Amino acid sequence: MNMTLMMLAEKVLKGTEKLSGIEITSMTVVGLGVVFGALLILVCFLYLSGGIFKRMGAQKKNAPAAPAAPAKVKTAPAKAIAAAPAASTGDEDEIIAVITAAIAAMSAADGKAYRLHSVKPVSRGGNGRSAWAQAGIHDATRPF
Amino acid sequence: MGAILDFIVNTLGGLWSDSGLNVLFSDGGWKNLVMILISFVFMYLAIAKEFEPLLLLPISFGMLLTNLPMANMYHPDLWVLVDGHVDYGKVLVDGGLLDILYLGVKLQLYPPLIFLGIGCMTDFSPLIANPKSFLLGAAAQGGIFCTFVAAGLLGFTAAEAGSIAIIGGADGPTAIYVSTKLLSGDGAITTGNIALAAYTYMALVPIIQPPIMRAMTTKKERAVKMEQLRVVSKTEKIIFPIAVTLIVSLLVPSAAPLVGMLMFGNLLKESGVAARLIDTAQNALMNIITIFLGVSVGATTQAEQIINLKFGGVMLLGVIAFSLGTACGLIFGKIMYIATKGKVNPLIGSAGVSAVPMAARISQKVGAETDPTNFLLMHAMGPNVAGVIGSAVAAGVLLSVIG
Repeated sequence: MNMTLMMLAEKVLKGTEKLSGIEITSMTVVGLGVVFGALLILVCFLYLSGGIFKRMGAQKKNAPAAPAAPAKVKTAPAKAIAAAPAASTGDEDEIIAVITAAIAAMSAADGKAYRLHSVKPVSRGGNGRSAWAQAGIHDATRPF
Repeated sequence: MGAILDFIVNTLGGLWSDSGLNVLFSDGGWKNLVMILISFVFMYLAIAKEFEPLLLLPISFGMLLTNLPMANMYHPDLWVLVDGHVDYGKVLVDGGLLDILYLGVKLQLYPPLIFLGIGCMTDFSPLIANPKSFLLGAAAQGGIFCTFVAAGLLGFTAAEAGSIAIIGGADGPTAIYVSTKLLSGDGAITTGNIALAAYTYMALVPIIQPPIMRAMTTKKERAVKMEQLRVVSKTEKIIFPIAVTLIVSLLVPSAAPLVGMLMFGNLLKESGVAARLIDTAQNALMNIITIFLGVSVGATTQAEQIINLKFGGVMLLGVIAFSLGTACGLIFGKIMYIATKGKVNPLIGSAGVSAVPMAARISQKVGAETDPTNFLLMHAMGPNVAGVIGSAVAAGVLLSVIG
């Protein structure tokens, strides 16, 4: 035990000398202990900071949800009608409003009426990955 | 006519006696010949098999240059300690090209600068998203300390045992950094020996690891599909390098040059405001240092240093260190598999040895053998990058304790 504590305090092993059984054992205990200890502190730190950021993220998500509702009232003067059954909550309402405004501008330019039926997430062949992500995975996992 | 003939014969005789060929076929010249052939093998592995070509190619060419008789590109006698110090003035005046390049190794400049570039290229998100990965990175360092025990029992000195053991960290720059600090340069084992063993085994990771991984895990364990990792915010990514630098450097100050530069590079990357610096650190600077480091480390592998029993011991202990590191990571992976009731695939434990990203790719490959739809790569990157930090901490411990 004393040997282990001494090791942490100063350089106790002379580089040019051969090692005794006690020195080998103590070095192994100290080495593994310090590596695990240091990384365990980092684990605790990451869990702590991760928890804080998750909570902050959740608060941010909840906060703008209430004032988002009146923004929906904004409608384009043209005949463009937004009917979006797939996505219509929170921030997505604003995106749909922007798309509707773009369609209204288009409608005003050529005098025709357009209707937006729905806004849906893009289907990527059932695995949820874009072509670029697929290419990356293929590149990183191809056989050696 | 006779005088002219005599002159020609004498001149040709002088040229022959001064030529490298004469030395190559005289007493002990066979050792140089063997080393030149070994350099060809490394060149073959780098070019034809693409085993770590960016490092093996400069190392193998440095090996070729230093073993050319009479070329005098590297002088080991200049690096012998005089009153405990290298006479750097003499190196600058009398040294050859490779001696000058070797200054960066001897003064421990190259490894931290390489770590700067690695930091710029590393994404720590998988580790931040799954902090448990740190423990797998720590467990894989068990190979270092188990090998330290083996080397100590085999009669190596403390400095030699520490330098051999760090090969188990599977991190070339760290191995060079530790061995340069610990070894005096005039002993039976040199930095060149350690670097050669470390890079050889790093290049052979795809051959060494899979059989151990298959032997230590069941089909059921290898088939475990892990949950998708959460998205990590930019603020977390920026805080991470600062926190790691503070925590690790305060605990193990000897690890600060390696961990500090690694995290500095990562902060440059994650800050998003230093595009020019990142570009230089991960491209031009990294490439220049890699060339200098590779060639000068290769230059230290002179025949007398390599063809001896001690180097055979280094190579043997090196492969033991690598295998034990892999095994320790897998054992901890199995513990996590049991503790989480089958949510962690133990294969990601072997990625705790810090050969980035090869060790993570091996986890992916072995996992995909059991289930081709199982993508372990990102999960294995967590322990993999944790291994880099873990091996730097282990190096710091060795440097703190061995004087």
